[in-house]
Amino acid sequence: MKKNILALAVIAIVAIIIWKSVNIQSVDEFYEKEVPLDNHSGTVTITIRCDTILDNYDDLDKSLQSEEFVPADGVILPETLYEIQEGYTVFDILLLAAREHEIQMEYQGGDENSFGTVYIQGINHLYEYSCGPLSGWTYRVNGVVQDFGCSQYELQDGDVIEWLYTCDLGHDI
Amino acid sequence: MTFEKYHPIVLMAYFAAILLICMFSVNPVIQLLALLGGGSFCILSPQKKSFKGFLAYLILFLLITCTNPLFSHRGATPLFFINGNPVTLEALAYGAGMGVMLTGVLVWCRGYSLVMTSDKFLYLFGKAIPKLSLVLSMALRFIPLFRRQLQKVSRAQKTMGLYSSESYPDRVKSALRVFLAVVGWSVENAMDTGMSMRARGYGLKGRTSFFLFRFTMRDGVLLCVMGLLAAVTFVGTGAGLLAFDYYPYISPIDCNGASLAIYLAFGIFSFLPVLLELEERIKWNYCVSKI
Repeated sequence: MKKNILALAVIAIVAIIIWKSVNIQSVDEFYEKEVPLDNHSGTVTITIRCDTILDNYDDLDKSLQSEEFVPADGVILPETLYEIQEGYTVFDILLLAAREHEIQMEYQGGDENSFGTVYIQGINHLYEYSCGPLSGWTYRVNGVVQDFGCSQYELQDGDVIEWLYTCDLGHDI
Repeated sequence: MTFEKYHPIVLMAYFAAILLICMFSVNPVIQLLALLGGGSFCILSPQKKSFKGFLAYLILFLLITCTNPLFSHRGATPLFFINGNPVTLEALAYGAGMGVMLTGVLVWCRGYSLVMTSDKFLYLFGKAIPKLSLVLSMALRFIPLFRRQLQKVSRAQKTMGLYSSESYPDRVKSALRVFLAVVGWSVENAMDTGMSMRARGYGLKGRTSFFLFRFTMRDGVLLCVMGLLAAVTFVGTGAGLLAFDYYPYISPIDCNGASLAIYLAFGIFSFLPVLLELEERIKWNYCVSKI
């Protein structure tokens, strides 16, 4: 009997831990939330574009061939200004922008892959491999393609971030 | 059942085709038809399973449906957010589709094990690939045999007064010990079977076996009908008439003439064993009523 109670207690504790660590928000709550800055150290701009798809429109998945996912001018998010604080990375700004402008986004967390950095799987329903086997999301800061992951690049004042969709492993941007 | 009295080649072709379609089709109508056909086939069979067995399938289905949205965040209709990740309607629907597909495959595998006994399997492949077919027939028999032996051992242990504690952790522990013992037994049993088959000259040249199977007219007719129905489904899938997408929006189910014809063909294909059985029962009742 004692052991039964003990086992029940262990199960209850695990259930409570899971319940406490899960944070459920409704759609409106999620998009309304604002992240306050402690002290800002400058401003950066961010753009999200997918114009390479326009040149390879036939390779795109049939279910994605619509104005809603690929805008006619290829611009998903026009140049937008964001304030940053010390230690903010490219990924943080993308997360902020996606939340504020209600852009769908999916990523693989840094603890889930062998590179130790966040990997962006899809933005605005355009995923890796959606437009041919060499397609996916990549980013540039101040016009230069970076050699490390987006959650490892710490931003400076005045940086210009561009998120670009490539259909050819980055050779076409 | 009437269906199991057909020639092994016909049965093998049928199960291979239905499992292939079931596994590789993404169309929910096809998946649902396959599941319903397999389910009614299992219910009609004389060695039908208790309700408990189907409950396990239901639990599996619910589990898959609920876990997919936790790991896939695709889809244009978010329902709510967990830790900043959306749980979408499309991912839920995709999970349900996968669940139907998986339970359909499992139900048909169960139908396969009811109908394709190991003698039929060995008749088909014993000559061509003796080693592989023996291993396969042993592997397919493994789980029911394992379960039976597990029950035997645990009952025997209980009669001796062991492992009969009231507390749940103790029971789990004792079940684990019985499980380990049976694993050891099954490995040894497999070796024994292999050695005994070798001692009888299994797989040697010139060894003959006795089988009662004969390919008759009705086998040929059924094989042709099956081939036709399966071909319609395969060609339809190949032509993209059954294309279906879950992401980013769930695409509408095609209801034009060609698609409906394929659904009808596959529906007949999937319910073929059930239809044959029903026909036989109606005939039987009719004959009995005349006596």
